Amino acid sequence: MTASDALPARPLGFTLDGERIDGREGDTVASALLRAGITTFTRSIKFHRPRGPFCFAGSCGQCLMRVDGVPSLPACRVPLREGMRCVRQNAPLGADADVLRASDFLFPEGLDHHHLLVGSRVLGRVALEVARRLAGLGQIPDEPRPAIPGAVREEHVVVVGGGPAGISAALAAAHRGGRVLLLEREARLGGAALLGIDESAPGPAWVAEHSRALAAANVEVVLEAEAIGLYANDAAAGPGKPALLAVRRPVAAVAVLADVVVVATGGVSQPLPFPGSDRPGVYAARGLLALASHRGVRVGERLCVVGEGSELVDCARALRMAGYALARVVDAAGAWPRPSGEAAQQSAAGLPLLRARELRARGNPVTELRAGEEAIRCDAVAVALPPAPLHELASQAGAQARFSAESGGFEVQVDASGRTSVPWLFAAGRAAGAPRARAPDSGTRAGVGAADAAGKGAA
Amino acid sequence: MNDKAIVCACEDVTRRELEDAIRAGYADVESMKRYTGLGTGPCQGKSCLSAAMRLCAERADLPEAAQVPFRARPPLSPTSLAAFAGMPDDVVRRRESPVPPPRSSAGVHPLQPREPLPAKASVVIVGGGIMGLALAWNLAGRGESDVLVLERGYLCEGASGRNGGGVRAQWTTPAHIELAKESIEFMGRFAQELGINVWLRRGGYLFLAHDERTLRMLEAGARLHRAHRLATRIIDPGEAGDLVPELDTRKFVGASWNPDDGVVFPWPFLWGYAHGARKRGARVETFTRVTGLEVEGGAVRAVRTDRGTVRADRVVLACGAWSPAIAAMAGVALPNVPYRHEIVSSEPLKPFLGPLVTMMGTGLYFSQSMRGEIVGGMGDPDEPAGLNQTSSLRFLVRYSRALTELVPRLAQVKLLRQWAGCYDVTPDHSPILGETPGVRGLLQMSGFVGHGFMMAPAVARRMAEWMGGARDELFERFNVSRFAEGRFEKETLIIG
Repeated sequence: MTASDALPARPLGFTLDGERIDGREGDTVASALLRAGITTFTRSIKFHRPRGPFCFAGSCGQCLMRVDGVPSLPACRVPLREGMRCVRQNAPLGADADVLRASDFLFPEGLDHHHLLVGSRVLGRVALEVARRLAGLGQIPDEPRPAIPGAVREEHVVVVGGGPAGISAALAAAHRGGRVLLLEREARLGGAALLGIDESAPGPAWVAEHSRALAAANVEVVLEAEAIGLYANDAAAGPGKPALLAVRRPVAAVAVLADVVVVATGGVSQPLPFPGSDRPGVYAARGLLALASHRGVRVGERLCVVGEGSELVDCARALRMAGYALARVVDAAGAWPRPSGEAAQQSAAGLPLLRARELRARGNPVTELRAGEEAIRCDAVAVALPPAPLHELASQAGAQARFSAESGGFEVQVDASGRTSVPWLFAAGRAAGAPRARAPDSGTRAGVGAADAAGKGAA
Repeated sequence: MNDKAIVCACEDVTRRELEDAIRAGYADVESMKRYTGLGTGPCQGKSCLSAAMRLCAERADLPEAAQVPFRARPPLSPTSLAAFAGMPDDVVRRRESPVPPPRSSAGVHPLQPREPLPAKASVVIVGGGIMGLALAWNLAGRGESDVLVLERGYLCEGASGRNGGGVRAQWTTPAHIELAKESIEFMGRFAQELGINVWLRRGGYLFLAHDERTLRMLEAGARLHRAHRLATRIIDPGEAGDLVPELDTRKFVGASWNPDDGVVFPWPFLWGYAHGARKRGARVETFTRVTGLEVEGGAVRAVRTDRGTVRADRVVLACGAWSPAIAAMAGVALPNVPYRHEIVSSEPLKPFLGPLVTMMGTGLYFSQSMRGEIVGGMGDPDEPAGLNQTSSLRFLVRYSRALTELVPRLAQVKLLRQWAGCYDVTPDHSPILGETPGVRGLLQMSGFVGHGFMMAPAVARRMAEWMGGARDELFERFNVSRFAEGRFEKETLIIG
């Protein structure tokens, strides 16, 4: 943990379903609730199963809450403020005793809505009325709100993502003479490099050193700026600029027109589907590492870590470094089809390793993981699968992505210079399937390619 | 707690449901997404698509070239209408020469079935959208089961899978009113006839008039509707506000209201008709592209595809916005012009909005789906013609401005995903039906200007009967020859 992450002790009071809770300055709604021991954040949309946060990165949609009259905000992304009113959704009789859980038991294998009651017109109408009333998650917002004034900017090279690949791409492009804008979704640069997962890959020291280099190279860094859309530019603004990027920062929308875009968006934590894996108390391993590192919150003492490949071993070690005791480290390769093809184990020496394909989580929040024959008591379960490359932004613009068993997701396809199938679009790092240790190299290549492409475009 | 394994936590989709979908033939992730709801919630697939592909690859033995993600739809994470509405005008003004959309890749689709097509068929239908599939089911039901439907993508890839699901009988020509009335009635018993729910919810259609002139047009329409025994009434802004309390009633002067119109869930229509047609002996072939039409002696003889040639004396063009391109293969010039039309879906909200609401001035429309999402679109007077199915930021901004102006309380609702489809626009906004002059056996079934979905059941029934020898004035009235004869069937109530 770096000094800047140390939490000031100033308390912030807020309410959950009307009851007062104390959080701290620097908390998100999610970290404050977990610190208060609250793990059920919502009820799920169809079966009203209790759900809590999973990814802690605003990606999974499992911690949505009504905050100050606005529905379905991700609690893991909302900074806590004094007096905030948080309400759990989809639980008309209270999140802890939701009578609509009946649907979970009525449809034990899932709900085949296509063929539900098709035999009878009358019953079909009843089903329609019931389904209509149960649909949806949040209630409509309490209040109107005027449009949030946005902005438009024109740039040469825009790099999306401030992890090692993005930082390297921005530096390389700047050294090549390009004017570079670097967008980072979080409040700090570094991405996964801050989590201490892999000693052979860039870590916090690398990030600090290269952040200084960014300043020296006149790269403009904008934090809390999330790219949400990438389009071929058909707008009148910025004539000749082929790329149109929609960016949210943090609530207003900014249009960024660019000659060249480098997508270095990293990866997204993936759940491992097994019975009970959606219960509160099952978290993404990287999410728990970020929660400990950035918010100073742990979700218990003893963890079961379950996953595949080197990500499992690396995350288990990092979680132990973060102060957790490891009840068991469960290599679940085979629990779900086509496990990650990463070179399976560097040594797992010193870890309480167990192999199991049959998994089941029990308790709310989870207190036990059944792995094969073994019943393991724990305070929480951490899931460590290779994070899926975040290909979506590049894909939106038409870049090709292919499934890779290696990375357990879809990698943006690039050539040797990092260029995608779209001439003005480059990709680097995890998004393009580069292993952690090679993220800086892949970023540098894409940055050089991007600067050259931008230079040609401008000439 | 029940011990189901949840794959898509946003939409509560279980492993078992995915396996059932694969068994039912929805084994590519685009089809699986539509069939199960996987990846359509707030995370938009970021947490479930990889697991689904791992399962698909294992169970369905997908070729590597087909192991691609389903189409990534902006925005990447849920973003409020208020944010898009506040984007600068520069984003909304369109470039004078628009960027050409990416060309769809030619070549054989990696998911194309390996078995050969039949050498001949009694009827070949080009286009596996709602029109073609409904026609196949109706033909097969009349004993004409030697029918082959050719679809270039997955079922739902074209406009039938891309529309907002609105169905209404409020039209300005008697023919359209009757076709829509019969179709909506059929939708009410679709589940019993075809064994799959389409969730027709008759929440009504509310056309808002922004000025007196438009209101008078709606009044004339309402008189015609009453002659056709529709329940349409003209109501004042106060009554419209009672129906939808969130509307800013200062923005319109009156409204046309028919409580019997509604919304459906479009995709199951295609699956239901396709499954029903196959059960009756017809063949529905996906991922198969038509590459030519053979005409000889003034009659159509065969359809060439990227899976071989199929001889047929009757070929139906039911390919919507692609119809002019296909017709040109037979040397026939259709007057249809394709126009992109964009749509966006919001986060799922608890039900509050009964009707589908349309604002006449801007062409804004929106409704609440059975899943709770606000699904809406808006016409664009500056949209250039072309087969373009890409999404634009310009649309999100224009839509967000128009919607929040009319319904200010939606400003902090977040948009989840946008997409686009193509309207198939004819000069008089009426369809093209019947035999092509000069090419015997080449039958037209296109030109529905974005509303074919709500008329297909009736059009297909009558077309099947007409093809079986019954007389029906519809196929004279809407014959393509009308344009050469200067005989227009003008429909004015087009939205979007």
